[in-house]
Amino acid sequence: MTRCICMVSDFFYPNIGGVEEHIFNLSQCLMSNGNKVVVITHSYGNRKGVRYMSNGLKVYYIPIKVMYNQCVLPTYFCNIPIIRYIYIRERVDIVHSHSAFSTLAHEGLLVGNLMGLKTVFTDHSLLGFCDVSSILINILLTMALSACNHCICVSHTGKENTVLRANTKIDNVSVIPNSVDTQMFHPIPELRSKDNVTIIVLSRMVYRKGIDLVIQIIEKICPKYPEINFLIGGDGPKRVLLEELREQRGFHNRVRLLGTVEHSEVKYVLNKGHIFLNCSLTEAYCMAIVEAVSCGLLVVSTNVGGIPEVLPKDLLYLTKPEVPELIKGIESALHVVKSGQFVCPYKLNLRVKGMYDWRNIASRVEKVYDLISFKKKRTLKQTFQCYLSSGVWPFLVVVALAHLMLIILDIFVPRENIDICRNYPSETRKQIKKD
Amino acid sequence: MKKRPWRKNLYENQEYPDNYTDESFLKDLRVNVHFQPISLKDSTLGATLIVHELCTVIVFVIIYVYLYNHWSEPNYIFSWTCGATLFCFVAYRTFYGSIRTFGYDLQTVLLFLVFGQLFSPILYTLTDTISTDTIYTMSFLMMIVHLIFFDYGLSVAVVSNSLSLSAVIFASLCLSSRLATPYEAFILMTVSIKCFVLFPLLRNKIKTSFLFTLIFVILVAYFLTTVSILMTYIFISTIIFINVVCPLIFIRFQKYKDNIYGPWDEAIVQSIDMTE
Repeated sequence: MTRCICMVSDFFYPNIGGVEEHIFNLSQCLMSNGNKVVVITHSYGNRKGVRYMSNGLKVYYIPIKVMYNQCVLPTYFCNIPIIRYIYIRERVDIVHSHSAFSTLAHEGLLVGNLMGLKTVFTDHSLLGFCDVSSILINILLTMALSACNHCICVSHTGKENTVLRANTKIDNVSVIPNSVDTQMFHPIPELRSKDNVTIIVLSRMVYRKGIDLVIQIIEKICPKYPEINFLIGGDGPKRVLLEELREQRGFHNRVRLLGTVEHSEVKYVLNKGHIFLNCSLTEAYCMAIVEAVSCGLLVVSTNVGGIPEVLPKDLLYLTKPEVPELIKGIESALHVVKSGQFVCPYKLNLRVKGMYDWRNIASRVEKVYDLISFKKKRTLKQTFQCYLSSGVWPFLVVVALAHLMLIILDIFVPRENIDICRNYPSETRKQIKKD
Repeated sequence: MKKRPWRKNLYENQEYPDNYTDESFLKDLRVNVHFQPISLKDSTLGATLIVHELCTVIVFVIIYVYLYNHWSEPNYIFSWTCGATLFCFVAYRTFYGSIRTFGYDLQTVLLFLVFGQLFSPILYTLTDTISTDTIYTMSFLMMIVHLIFFDYGLSVAVVSNSLSLSAVIFASLCLSSRLATPYEAFILMTVSIKCFVLFPLLRNKIKTSFLFTLIFVILVAYFLTTVSILMTYIFISTIIFINVVCPLIFIRFQKYKDNIYGPWDEAIVQSIDMTE
């Protein structure tokens, strides 16, 4: 049976990151399993309207202005008409929202719930319970998840975190990790330097990714080991600090800053190095280290959040998130590289291939879809009771208003007047392949 | 066939459904890790800091009422407050500072006196066109702002020294513009500086104690009776609420503290500042 799945998130191509990659790869695999997938995201600069990506993945770039950190203003109302229109037009069965930070995802869930569609939410991040911003986001998440049919977390730590944050039923939370395209991230040992050891750092330059640790490590490692060079990709507010360090200590020939690296370029950057360094301070599932191991690099990483679950201990050097510990980790990796005892990169690639596969992930997500499609459609009263169970009763006003808006829209923009769009002809594509 | 035991990783456990929850779920959860219970004495002593600032504000307002109603000679008030300030200043410098900055201090005082005298004629007619009620309401609100944002010695986000000081100086400007002569306005501004700039500096140094608080409160209550008996009752009940009831509630509610810690917490690292 063909389902139509609608992925809703603020984060999508041309933005780069774990969530974006997750949505894209998952959509591709779901489509090859015979589902129809559309993506709703906000517009990125000139990129607005409908676009088609590889294999006919249809993306709606809704014309909304970005407010902060690639998120739209959380109005809960303004986008109801357009989201409803898309849901009807594409005959959506399942709304799948991604990331608790994305306000569009929350709106998509709300509209989906009120229109009687099945809803799934994937949480990609870990959050604490102490500072104001996480408390606020936790309230948002509680509201969003209280009426959601199923929730997916990317790691077991993520599940613990989400269950605590949002008070959801444990049985409604599945753990389905991210994955990696081992075909794309394969080793190219020729690219590695023969004389030097290159350490790769590839992340957004923000506090959460531990750039402060990276800076202190470079400061200590560079004078001590003249054979080590750093290759650093990514951009963000902390990049200035790295540049300053380079200026002050004269590390221009040792530390190369690449700026933003296109996703298609990542594997070439990774393959130039011997050691991959990840200093994240919190991480639900670290995609970067899996990609690095898949390219055959030795990985030194902090053991925060869900990282210890991602790969077996013998593939990584896991350390505490402290500078001396990380340096020890780098030193032992360096020793392995120098003595030539490291595992063959192709073998590493094969091992990762045995552990992670997007097709496997997609079929697990499909099982979730199967599970919830058997659930009965909720009545309006039940929907309200669900939202009430979150304990944030003022939110019911918002839900009620959204419901009224949907009724009014049904009068002014009747369902019959909305064109049902034609599906992307995937059969012809198969035929072309056969020919 | 017996299942292999579940492990907390993401690449095995194929035999288990995705929404399986193991017994080890949430075993790394920690509650109230850095929790240190606060004793009743500590919380009451902390509350006295608020009482001190509240009393200071009330002292200032009483002085205004005296000046406004001509209940006492302006010169009398000026000389008494100056004498007290001088005494406190000498004590402060002997015990906590060095005498060497004396020249600098004198310069500041002279600067203030000259400019205060120069501007007080403008001051006392500044808000003639505005009704007295508006001025009182405004002063009241500004005093509240002052009390909210005052630095009681805790590093929390709402503390803003500049805002609290500006608010209270604004309030005293408003009040001094109600007075009859420029000389009285000047005196009120001097008192305001003494109360809200200098006095907190001194109070920061002397450790807070119940005896000091008690004397302070009784003195303020005595002078308040000369203004209004009703206000005295309100004042005393407020003090009891702040200094007795609130700490008791705080101690009672401490047992509800429920901070959750776990592997999802962000690691804390020293954020580095390259400018140093």
